[in-house]
Amino acid sequence: MEKKPSVLVVDDEVDFVDFLVRRLQKRGVPCEGVFTGMDAVRRLKKGPVDVMLLDMHLPDMSGTDTLRALRRVGHAPRVLILSGHASARDGREGLELGASDYLLKPIEFDTLYHRLLAAGR
Amino acid sequence: MKLHAATIPAAALKSPSRLSYYRRQKGLFVLLVLLVSVLPLLVLSWTAARHYEESWLARSSQELRGLLESRRAIIDLFLRGQEDLLAGTVELHGQAPPVAAELERLLAAINRRGVITDLGVIGADGRHLAYVGPYSRQLAGRNYQEAAWFREVMASGRYVSDVFSGFRGVPHIVVAVTSPDRSWLLRATINSEFFDSLVTSAEVGPGGDAFIVNRRDEFQTRSKSGRAIDATSLPELNAGDGEARVERQGDFLYASVGVKNNDWLLVLAVDIRSSLAGFYRARQWTRLLIAGAGGLVLLVAAALVHGMVNRIETADRERLQLNDRIRQAEKMALVGRLAAGVAHEINNPLQIIGDQAGYIEELLEEETADSMRNQEECRESATRIRAQVKRASTITHRLLGFSRARETGRRTTDVGSLLRETFSFLEKEAANHRIAMACLVEENLPLADTDPGQLQQVFLNILNNALDAVEDGGRIAVEARHDAGRIVVEFADSGPGLAPASLARLFDPFFTTKERGKGTGLGLSISYSIMQRLGGDIQARNNGKNGAVFTVTLPAKARQAA
Repeated sequence: MEKKPSVLVVDDEVDFVDFLVRRLQKRGVPCEGVFTGMDAVRRLKKGPVDVMLLDMHLPDMSGTDTLRALRRVGHAPRVLILSGHASARDGREGLELGASDYLLKPIEFDTLYHRLLAAGR
Repeated sequence: MKLHAATIPAAALKSPSRLSYYRRQKGLFVLLVLLVSVLPLLVLSWTAARHYEESWLARSSQELRGLLESRRAIIDLFLRGQEDLLAGTVELHGQAPPVAAELERLLAAINRRGVITDLGVIGADGRHLAYVGPYSRQLAGRNYQEAAWFREVMASGRYVSDVFSGFRGVPHIVVAVTSPDRSWLLRATINSEFFDSLVTSAEVGPGGDAFIVNRRDEFQTRSKSGRAIDATSLPELNAGDGEARVERQGDFLYASVGVKNNDWLLVLAVDIRSSLAGFYRARQWTRLLIAGAGGLVLLVAAALVHGMVNRIETADRERLQLNDRIRQAEKMALVGRLAAGVAHEINNPLQIIGDQAGYIEELLEEETADSMRNQEECRESATRIRAQVKRASTITHRLLGFSRARETGRRTTDVGSLLRETFSFLEKEAANHRIAMACLVEENLPLADTDPGQLQQVFLNILNNALDAVEDGGRIAVEARHDAGRIVVEFADSGPGLAPASLARLFDPFFTTKERGKGTGLGLSISYSIMQRLGGDIQARNNGKNGAVFTVTLPAKARQAA
């Protein structure tokens, strides 16, 4: 069985992050969750992850700002944007900043799971 | 955004008095132009006419006074001359009264001009001693002892009578003269016609008159015009002091002065109307000209003002329509933001609900039938939850689609082909309902620089609505053409048309006339937003009673020079 990519979930919805982390772990995905952009940056400074699932609306900084901050850190995981609010500007900026996909909530868990695996490949 | 920097109250356009408002404006403008152009002319002509009339009157009064004085001098001179002539004849003749033959010679000597009709000699006892003239038969044996004039001559030596007809039946004046040392007097009858001509020859102009009245208001000469002027109606002229006077009464300018020792009054009358006839005619013409000019000004002003006010009215109406559209667009933007916010807030809980349901399903897989009796039902419930989440998310995604500013994807597009392609999506459904679909695209329809995906979404929305509205066996006709740099696509259906109440709210989000669950009420409002973004427009109207017509317009791409 192939090695599953490590995942960092960044979202301010605590229930969503908790659940997703638990469920991914259950499927054997090494997974962590943080609730703010700053936490995400801090976490990535400690060590790399393969895939990051990023919300566009975070309490401290926007998803695009977080992406910019991550680029400065130098660790560049694959980034999937997941948002409840799809705006074309956010999407385009995100993709320009290196995100590999832009997903809209709500999304089926299985779909998300496969996207994450695909992104980590 | 300031929408109300209006010169004319917006209410004026909407209220029922709108018509009268613009009509009032028109009337006011025309009146103003008329006043400004014609009033000065009127004032000018009136002032000039009045000035002329007054100066003419002043000059005429002066001239009339001169004429009066000269006539008075002539008349007095004439009467005095006759008197003196007789007095000289009496003096030269000697003491004895002249006999008939002598009298005849005397008359021939003094009457070269035929002024004197006859000549008589009357004794101190009043008897006629001699007579030369045409009335010898009537005068024979007459005694004047008791006559007033006879007594006056005997007392003062001279007498001039009023004009009278006497037994002769012809108006005449009698002049009688004697000398203190004579026992007779010489009496002459003056031809009154000759005397008349002295008066009537006065230059008093057309319609004027010249005559003499005595103190009993009897005419001493013929009134020139034959019109009997009642001298008693002229008390001022008749004052009695004999001074020369000029004054205006009605249409006449009267001048009077006493003559013959103020026994008589010489009256000259000038007919102002007749004398000024030329002037009055000119004034009449001026008035006609002013009236004509006024009429012309009225016509031109009315035409100009009509055009101008109509243009203002059109501009006002267009401005109001524009305001309506801007308001509609603002409303759309607001609703869009609201919808996006709501969608976002709902999407997050939906995600969690869906995830939890999926998790339950997953967990159920690990249970065995032994430990969980209702495993199948639990799975079914979880599946239903997920199905409902999916349904809710469809709606929120549409809401987001409505608000999203998708500015990507513009490219040169053949609208005709796009329209035909859209048609092909729906042909099967139309055939199922036996609905005839016709698509007419103008030849050489210009290309458009637009977003084909979004435009197709608009076409689909309209055609879907049409399919829903048209009953089985109906008809949908689409026509694409270009008009003044814009591409116009008209969708006409044979459905029931649009209710007036619907027309106003057609493009509002969530407004739908379809039955519950069939439409979201977002299709047309999304179409509206799309067309606004593409620089185009979408409008709906009823085609009389023959269904609804939706018109989509968008700018055509400028054709490249060959």
